[in-house]
Amino acid sequence: MAMQGGTALQEKVSRMLSRKQKKPVLKPNKPLVLKDEVANRKIKKGEATCVTEMSMMMACWKQNNFVDTLCSNEMQSFYKCVEKAQIAVKDKSEQQTIGQSGRLQPKQATTLLKRYPNLHIEV
Amino acid sequence: MLYFGKQIIEISFALWHLPESLPRGLRGTTFSKMSASITGLLKPWTPRVFLVRWSRYNPYYLEPEPRKEVYHIPETELTPEQKEERELKSVRPIKAATNSVTSSVFNDPVLSKFVNMMMKDGDKIIAKGIITQTLENMKRKQVEKYHKAPEGKKAEIECNPYAIFHQALENCKPVIGLASIQKGGKFYQVPIPLTDNRRRFLAMKWMITECRDNKHRRTLMYEKLSQELLAAFSKEGNVVKRKHELHKMAESNRAYAHYRWW
Repeated sequence: MAMQGGTALQEKVSRMLSRKQKKPVLKPNKPLVLKDEVANRKIKKGEATCVTEMSMMMACWKQNNFVDTLCSNEMQSFYKCVEKAQIAVKDKSEQQTIGQSGRLQPKQATTLLKRYPNLHIEV
Repeated sequence: MLYFGKQIIEISFALWHLPESLPRGLRGTTFSKMSASITGLLKPWTPRVFLVRWSRYNPYYLEPEPRKEVYHIPETELTPEQKEERELKSVRPIKAATNSVTSSVFNDPVLSKFVNMMMKDGDKIIAKGIITQTLENMKRKQVEKYHKAPEGKKAEIECNPYAIFHQALENCKPVIGLASIQKGGKFYQVPIPLTDNRRRFLAMKWMITECRDNKHRRTLMYEKLSQELLAAFSKEGNVVKRKHELHKMAESNRAYAHYRWW
C-alpha cells in the first residue's frame, strides 16, 4: 500500500518535470532526495520569568542608592523565584523528552533515519 | 571433598546479571540518545587495565568520596541508601581522585578555585604562595587593628583571614547580569538572573583583574590583593564599585527585561 502511494507520487513528479505537456513546473538543480535527518521543531518561545521580583528589587535599589543590606528581603525573594524557574524549566524539558505520545521526537526520528540512511554509493 | 571451584564460578556468574538498581528509564529504551553510547557501558564490567590519573572514564566508574566523616559513621547508624551505596562501591571501580581534592580540614573548594584562576601557565606553586602570603598579610593587618582598638570595638574586628576572604567574595558577587540579545536587528543589553557559579566566577575574575591592572609597578600582588580583599570586606574599593555599576546598568535597562525568553 505504501508502494501504490509511492508510484503515484513519482508519476506526479515526472509530469511536473517533463517538457512534453507544458513548461516544466520543477527545475531542480539537485536530485530530489530527502535528507537523513528531521529538522528540530522550535519549542514555543517562553516569557521572561521573575520580572516582577526583579522590578521590585530594582525599585528598592533605586530608593536606597544601591546599598545591598537594606534590600535583602527583595533579593531573597528574587533568588527563590529564580530557583523555582530553573526547576520548572528542567521539569518541562524532561517531560518533553519523555512525553509526546503517538509521535516521535525530532531527535529520535533523526537517530532512526541515521541507522538506515539513503544509499548514495552503489556497492 | 569441598568444591570451592564451583562456588567461585557461581559468584562470578552472579555479578553478570543485570543489576536491579539500573534505573527503569535505561533498561528498555531504544530511541533515547543514551542508547548509542551509555547503556552499552553500564553493564557489569571489570576493567582489564586500571586507569590512574585520567580525566575521561567509562560512566561505570563511581566518584571518589574524600570526606572523612562519611567513613566514621558506625554500621548501625547508616540509612538504607547509604548501605546500598556502600555495597555498590565494593563492586564497582572508582575514579582516581584529582590532586586538588584532599580530605584535610584545610581543604576549601572556593579558595582552590581562586588559586586555579590566579594560576598562570600551570604554575600552581606561585599562585598558592601568593594566596598564602595574602592571607598572612590580612591576618597581620587585622591583628594590628585589633591591638590598637579600644576595648569596646575589639569584638567587632574579624581576624580570621578565611572568613574575611569568603565575606569579601560574597560582597563582590553581582545579583543580576546583562546579556546581549538581538531583537529587530539591534542588540540590547538585557538584565538576566545569573547562576551561583557564574556569580562566583565574576566576583573572582573582577578581583584578580583589578589586582593585576590597577596597581603601582612596585606593589607586589599579595599586598594589593590583601588591600582589595579588606576593602571588599568593608564594602568599599573598586571591585564593589564595579558590581554597583553593573547593577546600575541593569536597573537602567530594566525596560528590556521582557526581551528574555527563558
